[in-house]
Amino acid sequence: MKADTNLRPELFERAEKDNKNADKIKRPTIKYWPDVWRRLNHNKLAMLGLVLIILMGIMSFLGTEISGYTYFEQNLSMRNIDPGSEFWFGSDELGRDMFTRVWYGARYSLAIGIIAAFIDFLIGVLYGGIAGIASRRVDSIMMRVAEVIYSIPYLLIVILLSVVLSREGGGTSMFVLILAMSLTGWVPMAILVRGQVLQLKESEYSLASESLGATKGWILKKHIFPNTLGPILVNVTLTIPRAIFAEATLGFLGLGLQAPKSSLGTLANDGLAGLAVGNAYQIIIPAILISLIMFSFNVLGDGLRDALDPRLRK
Amino acid sequence: MEKILEIKNLAVSFKTFFGEVEAVRNISFDVGKKETVAVVGESGCGKSVTANSVMQLLPMPPAFFKTGEIIFKGEDLLKKSENEMQKIRGNHIGMIFQDPMTSLNPTMKVGSQIVEGLVKHQKVSREEAKKKAIEMLKLVSVPQPEKRIDQYPHEFSGGMRQRVMIALAMISNPDLLIADEPTTALDVTVQAQILDLMKELQDKLDMSIILITHDLGVVADMSDRVVVMYAGQIVEQGLTEEIFDNTSHPYTKKLLASVPRLDMKRDETLVSIEGTPPDLYIPPKGCAFYDRCDFAMKVCKDNMPEFTHHSQTHASRCWLSHPMAKGVKGSEK
Amino acid sequence: MQEPLISVKNLKKYFEVGKGAMLKAVDGISFDIYPGETFGLVGESGCGKSTAGRTIIRLYDPTDGEVIFNGKNIFALSRHDMAEVRRNFQMIFQDPYASLNPRMTVLDIVAEPLDIHKICKNSKERKERVIELLQLVGLNDEHAMRFPHEFSGGQRQRIGIARALALNPKFIVCDEPISALDVSIQAQVVNLLKDLQSKLGLTYMFIAHDLSMVRYISDRVGVMYLGHMMELGESEKLYDDPLHPYTKALLSAIPIPEPEVQRSKKRIVLEGDVPSPINPKDGCRFVDRCAYAIDRCRVETPEFIEHKPGHYAACHRIGEI
Repeated sequence: MKADTNLRPELFERAEKDNKNADKIKRPTIKYWPDVWRRLNHNKLAMLGLVLIILMGIMSFLGTEISGYTYFEQNLSMRNIDPGSEFWFGSDELGRDMFTRVWYGARYSLAIGIIAAFIDFLIGVLYGGIAGIASRRVDSIMMRVAEVIYSIPYLLIVILLSVVLSREGGGTSMFVLILAMSLTGWVPMAILVRGQVLQLKESEYSLASESLGATKGWILKKHIFPNTLGPILVNVTLTIPRAIFAEATLGFLGLGLQAPKSSLGTLANDGLAGLAVGNAYQIIIPAILISLIMFSFNVLGDGLRDALDPRLRK
Repeated sequence: MEKILEIKNLAVSFKTFFGEVEAVRNISFDVGKKETVAVVGESGCGKSVTANSVMQLLPMPPAFFKTGEIIFKGEDLLKKSENEMQKIRGNHIGMIFQDPMTSLNPTMKVGSQIVEGLVKHQKVSREEAKKKAIEMLKLVSVPQPEKRIDQYPHEFSGGMRQRVMIALAMISNPDLLIADEPTTALDVTVQAQILDLMKELQDKLDMSIILITHDLGVVADMSDRVVVMYAGQIVEQGLTEEIFDNTSHPYTKKLLASVPRLDMKRDETLVSIEGTPPDLYIPPKGCAFYDRCDFAMKVCKDNMPEFTHHSQTHASRCWLSHPMAKGVKGSEK
Repeated sequence: MQEPLISVKNLKKYFEVGKGAMLKAVDGISFDIYPGETFGLVGESGCGKSTAGRTIIRLYDPTDGEVIFNGKNIFALSRHDMAEVRRNFQMIFQDPYASLNPRMTVLDIVAEPLDIHKICKNSKERKERVIELLQLVGLNDEHAMRFPHEFSGGQRQRIGIARALALNPKFIVCDEPISALDVSIQAQVVNLLKDLQSKLGLTYMFIAHDLSMVRYISDRVGVMYLGHMMELGESEKLYDDPLHPYTKALLSAIPIPEPEVQRSKKRIVLEGDVPSPINPKDGCRFVDRCAYAIDRCRVETPEFIEHKPGHYAACHRIGEI
């Protein structure tokens, strides 16, 4: 042994120590959400998505103010002008500034997506939560009802609702769009929440809580709900782009907002006409923005899912 | 004895957010032909990481090899490509796990899984493979193999599943079987059956076994030699009798004393090892067992002990075996 | 003779598993548990030992039977009265990874029973009590603000024990509290349990499949097989002189950590697996795997009788084999 030169006899005396040190934890403690945030931070794509969402969110408010045009002001002498210094994103066939209109449309698209996702969240959590804790009979009735509702195509509902509820002059109000999407859109959230609740209800810590004398409400509040938050958050993040896309589809089919109001979908619909006469930018720009929004929310949602996955912890 | 596997200076680390976790720290041991070597230690001591290193089943990253060689039949497994490793895993080294469900595909019939492996690795026809699969299930004492071959894993009990997994691992007559806690999830009566089966198959097929376990009773039953791991290092190794009857390292001593024996009086206290093993994210500079050792000396805290050889086969890593520690409490045999 | 703390009489717990299929997890078991003792319950997986433990403290609704505590059948108590009794019954769970809510700090986990029963007046008192409990199990205030995933298995189990002690219970069901732990840690937890028992005068029901550990910790041991109690007796007598063929086989299967002994001993090898507990046949439950089975065993369920003082078994052939 080479180290022998340093070994003095006094080193071979009993060490004065208690074994207390053996239970010490050396790693720093990390709370749950900071840990999730830390892992999300490591995911470059998800962070890019988050930054893009924030930028697009800001632009959907500021973007309508900075070009000096309004979204409805028509200037028939400046129709179909290519993107350039006058109109950054060009002008449409009525001479309106596309830059302002695109951001104005993004504002509606985002608003519809977020509000629809929020309503889905509210109904879904409530419905799924109740089904999860209710008796098996009530649960199975509730889930059959949800499945029936989910099997109705939302397109059909939109068309019906827009016929029944829309004001004269065509177009569908934002309220009707959101209503139509939420009528069926909450079902996946409800199924998710119910599954989570059923699973967590059987978890040993819920059982432990029950053995301590906890009521059902207590277990729900202390154990089940906090542990479903993660998957719910992921689901909300992924519902938003779905709702935005659904709205864009409707807008593209002519079932969207009433002009001069616009969403990205109705803008793409308007741009379709421009495509025929060589003004491709009129459809390409809103299409790119739709894609960017979809992309951002989806990568953020995926990133969140990974960050929240307990199996990937540590 | 002819050596089938030699692990030399193997060090494996995991990259984590906190920094590097040194899961296996410079271990060396070998396995002879037809020999059973038990690797014992607590969870987190690196025994499963060692097994998975041999099989190259570690997720990389976060895992990476720092140093070392794993020589299997004269060739370094760490230098093999994934394709070559697949061939070795299919033909020469078999592995069984604690939870059979991790290596059985729940959506595939048991028979097809065995047949699949055979067709892929041994280039035999399906017909032949099926015959061999039935033969194999018969060998591991699965009753009515002709019928059970068409069933799914969930239709088997825990013990039967473990038998199927053994069949799967043995199908190509491997030279080496790595059994990672093969009986931990099983009941004692089933455990006894499985251990007997492994011994019987070892005799029939002339293979070596690395048995990873924390159950010292199983070790006493099965192994020729024992490697005791603690905090990523080997602290003691030797023949089974040497480890049990001539224990040298304080950790091994305590480990043996912490198992209740059936002839123990009820008022005897069970020796417990207080505390928990060190976190290998900051491995201790000196002896890893220092914090939990009853005989620790001042030297142990900051100086890593080297191996002292007690016989040709028996060595331990403890300062108490150093000549200068003569007369200190705990240094006597 | 001392009055039992808990008296279990003909306890049954069935689960319905599909049409007409009844999983008889616990099928008519009776035993007493005396104050201050540890009653061990052993058996292989699926024998119903955990279900029995959970039914006794009414985590599951019993199918039939009685559990007498303080002279009252707790199965007949109203929800309100049960809440009072429940404070005397606690449980320690098998998997320390699953039984602690990952989102709560150790402080909140240990304080949960105090919060449920609104015992502490303010957060200072609450924290003091939690730290007192943590110290009781060998942890300290440094650990209070950490989360379960930062702890090792043994430490987590100690947190679970601290939680179970919060309400000063009389009776604790330990449901395989050590089977998920390392050997060195098992002794730690068992010694802690013994220590707490003498300090606090606790009574345990210790459920496990590790027979050597059960022998070490228990005063009396019951052996279950497929929902039935096969044998019951003082632990040393039961282990030294088992009456039932199943107990004999079970004991002989324990690997002994001494190479010479282990390799030279004769094992009674049981063939096959434990049969399904769904709609079991009449007769002795062990009959299909028993080397001594006779025709009578297939038709007539053997009675659970006292063969020697305090030593019960259910087998037709005791005395003959």
